[in-house]
Amino acid sequence: MATILFNAFSFLQEKLKAKDHPCINAHIELSDGSTVADLVSAVGLEAADVEAALVNGSVRPFDTLLQNGDRVALIPPGTPGPYRVLLGMAGRKKAK
Amino acid sequence: MDLLCVLDFHRVEMMLPIQSKINFGAAPKKRALFPQKDLCHKKHIVNALPIPVLRAIHQTGNGTGSQIHRQENEDRIVKEEIMARILRINTRKKTHSFEEPGADLAALGGRGLTSRMVLNEVPPTCHPLSKHNKLVVAPGLLTGTAAANSGRISVGAKSPLTGGIKESNSGGILSQKLARLGIKAVVLEDKPEDSGFSLVVIKKDSVEILPADEYVGLGNNDVMGRLWDTYGKRVGVMSIGPAGQQRLAAACINFADPNGRPGRAAGRGGLGAVMGSKGIKAIVVDDSGAGKVPVADPEAFKTANKRWVEILKGHPVTSQGLPAYGTAILINIINEAGALPTKNFRSGRFEYAQDISGERIAEVIEQRGGKTKDGCHPGCVIQCSNVYHDKDGKVLTSGFEYETIWALGANTTIKDLDDVAMLDALCDDIGLDTIEMGVTLGVAMEAGLIPWGDGKAAIDLLKKVRTGDPLGKIIGNGSLFTGQALGVDRIPVVKRQALPAYDPRAVKGQGVTYCTSPMGADHTAGYAVAPNILKVGGDVDPLKKEGNVEVSKNLQIATAAVDSTGLCLFVAFAVLDTEDGVQTIVDLLNAQYGLSLTPEDVVKLGVSILKDEHTFNQRAGFTKVHDRLPDFFADPLPPHNVTWDYTEEELQQAKQYD
Repeated sequence: MATILFNAFSFLQEKLKAKDHPCINAHIELSDGSTVADLVSAVGLEAADVEAALVNGSVRPFDTLLQNGDRVALIPPGTPGPYRVLLGMAGRKKAK
Repeated sequence: MDLLCVLDFHRVEMMLPIQSKINFGAAPKKRALFPQKDLCHKKHIVNALPIPVLRAIHQTGNGTGSQIHRQENEDRIVKEEIMARILRINTRKKTHSFEEPGADLAALGGRGLTSRMVLNEVPPTCHPLSKHNKLVVAPGLLTGTAAANSGRISVGAKSPLTGGIKESNSGGILSQKLARLGIKAVVLEDKPEDSGFSLVVIKKDSVEILPADEYVGLGNNDVMGRLWDTYGKRVGVMSIGPAGQQRLAAACINFADPNGRPGRAAGRGGLGAVMGSKGIKAIVVDDSGAGKVPVADPEAFKTANKRWVEILKGHPVTSQGLPAYGTAILINIINEAGALPTKNFRSGRFEYAQDISGERIAEVIEQRGGKTKDGCHPGCVIQCSNVYHDKDGKVLTSGFEYETIWALGANTTIKDLDDVAMLDALCDDIGLDTIEMGVTLGVAMEAGLIPWGDGKAAIDLLKKVRTGDPLGKIIGNGSLFTGQALGVDRIPVVKRQALPAYDPRAVKGQGVTYCTSPMGADHTAGYAVAPNILKVGGDVDPLKKEGNVEVSKNLQIATAAVDSTGLCLFVAFAVLDTEDGVQTIVDLLNAQYGLSLTPEDVVKLGVSILKDEHTFNQRAGFTKVHDRLPDFFADPLPPHNVTWDYTEEELQQAKQYD
């Protein structure tokens, strides 16, 4: 099992609060070998809801394996640019 | 493309005494960007008859006597109609004059125009508060038209804060009114010999320069309230507060928003001090009776604007994220990325970021009855502004933005949102740049003048600027001045201007912009992005050097161009993801002025503006040694433990355009 520190921002907070799912500094347990994509599903979100995932403060592709103690935040479309570019969000769902 | 057709117009001066009121004829109906080629090179004919009379004669066919005279009159009508004029105010003589823009100004608007005029007319070595400096106020190229989000205004001068050229950009309702009056720029010149203040009132048929005794010493809220009571609830107002009157280097110029509040500002670089040095407390612009800004090809413009609105309303940033959470949506994101400068740039994460986040602000606004979305000018379809109420449900502040909340919040470690809002409200009323003041308060905390995170102490300190208290004068002169006065060695500035809300170690592209922008440390200098013409991709790593100089350079070019159109920089969010985004902006310009510009022409415009600005700074004495971050940025920044490690030579690549 891997326990991660989970945050969701912007509209994702509204969606998750509507599902009574903790989304601010929440501790979530995932099975070993889980990826960002698995986390998105586990909290009841669609892949299209999420534009970027920050793992330990850096934008990572959705196939990134999550480790115990990771800090993960999900961000929906709608981040004012140029930060989508400067933070490397644009087009980072897939591995490069 | 021959963008700059030569026009041979004589300058027409009207030197008038104080409180004089004259009729200067019908407002021009077309503006002077890219005049039609067939109108170029025609000789201007000075005629004693006013334009309405000439038009009447022309329409009836009577009175001129000959075909030659008829043709001359027709020429004059056409030329008067295509030319927007430059209004010069001599603040010493209390006189004004109108002139046609020269050939090198005719194609410019917004930042392009203010920077070119400052380069041409302001001695680069002059003292910024001297009679030799000029304050240039210019609407953008699309301002006043129906183009969505085109109501921004540029204010330029030599900066009292940086000592270099400055363009500061603002929303508000004044810009569109100037454009509708056919005024391409207002220039404040010279300097009064006394210490009195004046009020400038610009209407369709008159310019008045009036004593402003009754407004002297007032904050911007009272000034704007009284001016709306006197001149009508919809007039445009730009004014300075007590900070500008004292000519402090952190003073801004506030612009009335659509609600008549001073929530918009040309914030950066101390331009309020320049306005104060000219003895101008406020400028009122009333466009009653003015017609619409004419468009060369109305059908093409309508088509382009329809697409433009579709782009803005169809993108998740401009149609959902910003209207719902405002720019403060960035607090959590930048914090999570480890780039939110905290406790005077000691860490990239603030423990209480959630408490001052956009999500939290939206929650509080909804609970207290404020507005989560609002436009800073008519025609805005993004609506990223807001109105924040206090615990009693009364308006506390408006335009409560990401940079402000970071500066007065995370940077000072103040976590009480109401304290942060009060500090913002004080800045708006006193007329202070919120970024500069947030960083200054952090420096004051660094010195132990007030405790870290103590919102009430910060409020009390900021209030001292209003009263002229000596400590207030120190604070009001910004971060570097305050740091020197208090013996602090940790002062986050470039070219004497405080760094904004992104730690340059963790967002290196932004850091390159801080260092190399002619504006000093400025986040908006590298804001817009147009990937299809600038080849900016999404694969840059913010923590590494690779690729970030090129990204910064391209962002600076695109931003300079957008700042010339009068478009809000936030349109760039949608343009980034839309294949025809840039082309649609070009289509709007082409339709308005009857041109055939391409996106490459827009890039050339951006480059030419930056070259103007760097030229001014070089002449003022700036070299590459001024393109440095303070040495403490070589220390690791948690949580990524990254450092600033660019060499001067590497940074200079961001200024190589050829």
